[in-house]
Amino acid sequence: MGFVIPSSKNKRYLSGSDWVINLLDYIMKQTTCAGNMSQVVLALDSVIKHSELQNHLIRFTNEFPIVRGSITRDINICPYWRIPEKAEGNLKLTSYNCPGDGDLWTLLGKCVNKPFKDDSEHLAFHLINIENRKSCLAMTFDHRLFDARGAETFLKLFQQYLENNHDPAISTGIPSTAPAYLSEWIRKFLAGRNVNRKIVSLSKNPPGALPVPGDKSKEFKFRLITFNQQETQTIYENAYKAAGYLMEMPYLLTVIMQAVSELFTRRNARADSYLAAVSIDMRTSEDVKQELFFNHVSYLFFQAQCDIINNQKELTNIIKMQMYEQVKAGIPRDIMEASHLTRIAPLPFLKKIIDVPLKGKIATFIFSHVSKNILSPEIMGTGIENVFHMPRVPVPPGLGFFSNYFNGRLNLVISFLDGMLTNEEVHILEAGIKEGLTACQKG
Amino acid sequence: MTLQNIQDKLIQGIAAITAKDGSSIAPDVPFHKLGIDSLGFVEILVFIEKTFNLQLIESGLDKKDFETIRSLAAFIHKKL
Repeated sequence: MGFVIPSSKNKRYLSGSDWVINLLDYIMKQTTCAGNMSQVVLALDSVIKHSELQNHLIRFTNEFPIVRGSITRDINICPYWRIPEKAEGNLKLTSYNCPGDGDLWTLLGKCVNKPFKDDSEHLAFHLINIENRKSCLAMTFDHRLFDARGAETFLKLFQQYLENNHDPAISTGIPSTAPAYLSEWIRKFLAGRNVNRKIVSLSKNPPGALPVPGDKSKEFKFRLITFNQQETQTIYENAYKAAGYLMEMPYLLTVIMQAVSELFTRRNARADSYLAAVSIDMRTSEDVKQELFFNHVSYLFFQAQCDIINNQKELTNIIKMQMYEQVKAGIPRDIMEASHLTRIAPLPFLKKIIDVPLKGKIATFIFSHVSKNILSPEIMGTGIENVFHMPRVPVPPGLGFFSNYFNGRLNLVISFLDGMLTNEEVHILEAGIKEGLTACQKG
Repeated sequence: MTLQNIQDKLIQGIAAITAKDGSSIAPDVPFHKLGIDSLGFVEILVFIEKTFNLQLIESGLDKKDFETIRSLAAFIHKKL
């Protein structure tokens, strides 16, 4: 393709949230083997034909030239996503044969740790056949293209495309442009002041963080903890007893923070507090389809002093109150608003700035809980047994916990940079979380 | 404030939080069936504090009082 002068049709200005995600991508490329990528995995109850799937995927993704975009800066210095006229280049679908469930994780890990070949590749699909009886379809994606919910919605659209006899108009109604947000500066600066105050208050008790291995070639490793329907029901009942109606997220976070604290204790690692950065979706369920691409996340921060960690009731209350206070103070909106201001800064400079207040310790770990499932129960005539996410966690902290709910079952994935945890420590975390979530709670 | 006024205000607030049309929100449907999660529910509690000057996050969040708009309106009415 020759040089094209970008017009408003092929130019999508990045929001502040998108620029933060770009920053994380930059940092991860500096510190690990690849960028800020994640993977949605569909565990299927039978096998899918490679050629059939590839044809469908090529036709479907060709509807979205946006998936082959790249980032550049406009004359007004605002960064934007340059959308090509056509989705050029063949979509990558790689097939693997997996001799057994044991090797599946190695393969899935290999898929999500493989960097994209250039700056205009943001999606890759992997089909893993397990002993010719079951399979897994994994979609590896660049977080600069979409967030976790956007990725699930993209797969949901693919399901709809297959169900609707390959209707080429599936992409209709999804806007590919966005304003540059170059107005209301006072509001942005006031939001920035609020966010700055929040960061300063968090930095008063520096959070504990596990040391990050210095080796740049390091990959991420994963552990999936699955709960069956009965266990999931017990967990939700426990969450209700411990935290109240619809308070699953604070309950999960409490148990995870306690398991992480146990790990620090066993290592004799000193920490004054633990800090969890929790990414939250700022879209309502009504606008996900319209805001499928790019990032619509913000953050909540939960900090707990070490001396109260073992008191589950107190910790749960602290987390609930911190959630309430931050929502009331509008912190998630302020973060989104203030992050627009960061777009002026080149990424290497921005990296230096964010390291200052928390001395490089952004959080002890990252947590995210996707409570809604949007995917239909089958794809290409094959039943979906489970769906889970495998995100490469921004470094620092390089440790994250990601839960989702599918078909009445809760999944929790532990993601960590290779070398941060030993196998035994992963077992300790897994056992602590399982026991903490499923142990009987007093009513 | 009457019970009906409280219920109407709650529906208005929840419609804004969930970006749904108020007329599509039934007062007897449990919040989890409206697609509301922990964060959405906390947003509703913040809306209640701002509208009715009642802080409910520390009240135990019993299902009996918090599961539907109707039960929540009755609970607020009792507290006011």
